[in-house]
Amino acid sequence: MLTTTRRKFLAAIGVAASSGLVSFSPQAPGFLLEAAAAGAELPGERILVVVQLSGGNDGLNTVVPYKDEIYRRGRPSLAVGADRVLKVEGDIGLHPSLTGMATLLENRRLAIVQGVGYPNPNRSHFESMDIWHTAHTKPQDRAAGWLGRAFDARRAMLAQATDPPAMHLGAENQPLALAARDVPSPSIRSLDQFKLETGGNVQLREAIVAAASAPRGAASDLLKFVQTRTTSALEVSRRIEAAAKDYKTPVDYPGTDLAQKLKRIAQLIDAGLSTRVYYVALDGFDTHSDQRDAHAGLLGQLGGALAAFADDLAAHMQLDRVVTLVFSEFGRRVEENASRGTDHGAAAPVFLVGNRVSPGLVGKHPRLDDLEDGDVKFHTDFRSVYAAVLEQWLGWPAAPILGEGFAPARVLT
Amino acid sequence: MSLTLADLRPADAWQRFEPSAEQPFSRRLAAHLYRRAGLAASSRELDEAVRLGPEDAVKRLLSPGEATVKFDQEMHQFAQVTLAANNPELLAGWWLHRMRHTPAPLVEKMTLFWHGHFATSATKVRQPELMLQQNELFRRHALGDFGQLVRGIARDPAMLLYLDSATNRKVHPNENFSREVMELFCLGLGRYTERDIQELARCFTGWEIQHGQFKFNPYQHDERSKTVLARSGNFDGDDGLAVILDEPATAEFICGKLLRFFVADDDVFTPEWIAPLATKFRESKLTLAPVLEMIFTSRLFYSEAALGRKVRSPIELGVGMLRALDATTNMVQLANRLRELGQMPLYPPNVKGWDGGRSWINSSTLLGRANLVRYLVENADTRFAGGPLAQLLDKQAVKSAADAVDHLAELLLAVPLAADVRAQLVASLQQGGTLRPERLGQMLHLAGTLPEFQLA
Repeated sequence: MLTTTRRKFLAAIGVAASSGLVSFSPQAPGFLLEAAAAGAELPGERILVVVQLSGGNDGLNTVVPYKDEIYRRGRPSLAVGADRVLKVEGDIGLHPSLTGMATLLENRRLAIVQGVGYPNPNRSHFESMDIWHTAHTKPQDRAAGWLGRAFDARRAMLAQATDPPAMHLGAENQPLALAARDVPSPSIRSLDQFKLETGGNVQLREAIVAAASAPRGAASDLLKFVQTRTTSALEVSRRIEAAAKDYKTPVDYPGTDLAQKLKRIAQLIDAGLSTRVYYVALDGFDTHSDQRDAHAGLLGQLGGALAAFADDLAAHMQLDRVVTLVFSEFGRRVEENASRGTDHGAAAPVFLVGNRVSPGLVGKHPRLDDLEDGDVKFHTDFRSVYAAVLEQWLGWPAAPILGEGFAPARVLT
Repeated sequence: MSLTLADLRPADAWQRFEPSAEQPFSRRLAAHLYRRAGLAASSRELDEAVRLGPEDAVKRLLSPGEATVKFDQEMHQFAQVTLAANNPELLAGWWLHRMRHTPAPLVEKMTLFWHGHFATSATKVRQPELMLQQNELFRRHALGDFGQLVRGIARDPAMLLYLDSATNRKVHPNENFSREVMELFCLGLGRYTERDIQELARCFTGWEIQHGQFKFNPYQHDERSKTVLARSGNFDGDDGLAVILDEPATAEFICGKLLRFFVADDDVFTPEWIAPLATKFRESKLTLAPVLEMIFTSRLFYSEAALGRKVRSPIELGVGMLRALDATTNMVQLANRLRELGQMPLYPPNVKGWDGGRSWINSSTLLGRANLVRYLVENADTRFAGGPLAQLLDKQAVKSAADAVDHLAELLLAVPLAADVRAQLVASLQQGGTLRPERLGQMLHLAGTLPEFQLA
């Protein structure tokens, strides 16, 4: 059964789909024929977008237990009061800067997974981020990330794909989550990396396409391989350029760095790449002092970007196949410190955005009268969230990646 | 006609290549030798190689002679200046400069091979002086004794920091380095047990890095007996390595990797192809030079099973194009562009190094390769024999558009052009039948986007 988006894509590149059978017209790009023959990943598959909040997001001031006396007492300068909170249900509300998330929630496109963490929490940024990235709590198992291992497990399949399995958009170092032993994923600083530079010379571009696709008589397998990849790369470049130039969106994205990155991801998704995972990071959550305004600004950026992204994907009929996962390496202490900030904590909420997420609160808010070393306790292991994303969304077996014992959390419908 | 793999038997493949009337040692074959055993060659170097013949050309690659002494001194000074900036990315630019100008291209190519084999990334090590120290270790032993190289890497601060093995206490031996010695550096998967890793880790207890230097801490060394690969004794790290180096699997593993690196990407070589090379390696007490000589003088190396059967690595593409066209450019910028193609020197993706082969190729890297060629051709920092591109061809007495295309194809392409494509390149370079030198850059850019250009 073809999804709507796949049908749309196939139609757009001249492949007729009829009576449930796909037949390729002779004009179909060679890569597509080859990919279909090899059973490789075709564009139109489900996509995961990961948004990493670097520095340790203050979960308690993001998903706020605003009626809790312990919360209010512990945070004389930082507590968000009932008058300002964006109410979710019961005693829980969102930080007032998260209007974008509140809209997602109204549209049943947001899952707020509470109390996510892991046993014996590590409060070092570096260590805890590595744990989230590798899904391994032992320091000796940190060679490859959870997504990278998933790609390695599908190495033979991915070798046939035209586009890389994952892309990281950003100038920071590539997140360990994508590190694989066998299957590399690029870090992209700008979409210009998909642009064939010709100085605007249309004839040169045509000459390049003609020379690349001209028949080669006695080509070796290796040359044939490079030739099909070259013609498909030129086609991808044309699609992305056209998408960037003609990309019409009814959505007014905020001018923030995160929003602009997500907009580019929306363009790539709409251009029909076979890439399954996109990864971006938003830094600045290490709010040890004067947290109030800084944190409000970051959350405003996050909510605004996520809402615009979801609206844009929906407008392009892509939201059905995209889930966005938002996490941070840890939450922060219940009690604020003497500098009107918060110190490194443990469990915190994780968010999922999409049309197929379990809308609203998932799991209870951690109790503030039952702490461990001054921090809230986790009840949902982050690896069970990963398990749900791997198995129920991407369709990849989770146990070989995460190990046994992580049943998928109920975050998707 | 040269031989294909189907025509060759392993025993014949390793016989010496003898140039013949059908397959003379032409500029094309010389270019093949220099693309693989070095980082490509200029027109002048090709003429010189043809004059020497394959055996002497290979001898010169193996023993580059006096010219390197002065060059090495100069590069050492450049490196010291670069270190002062405390930025490993500048050191990557330094290394590219070295690759571009070296009079010992095989030594440099093997240095790159060892960097990928004993992969260590500056992303984690962060200290450029330690990356340089490791780089010099690779170069010192590039063609020499593999055992010395392994013993050196076991004490190398950058490596041990990279593998989180800067401490190794007897109560809790650190298995990381031992695992990689077995899996990635010497034996290959399936030639050892988890127990062997644990026992080898005990041999290395007390081997530490303190303040960027190797130290042996006798208080942390486990003095009890260990059993590695069925041999027992109160081994230290070097004893443990000796056991591993003595395993036939080590010679087979390294020779298999050399074959993939120098001869052909795709896994066409079964153990019987590798066996004669591994025997030579063991006979020469794990010295590299005789093995490399055997590869570069073999019938296999000049057969269709090897010609054009590798994907150019990004470094081969960038540095090779500069060397072939006697060109220079801004190397720090080149290093950063190579990052986008997946191969920034000193920044391998993980401990396994660059996989190479078909994994270099995807939509973003192919477009990046095309754009890199354009950048190199158009960039004001790029000079061809000190001047513009047209001047280079003029010096080499290229008169017509067809001459220019054939000349550049010989320098830059590992496989012949299809007639249609050649005609298209020629047409792009002339107007009304006359050569238009100002279009050379664009023609070169067009050539650089061809699938053929991605092969080595």
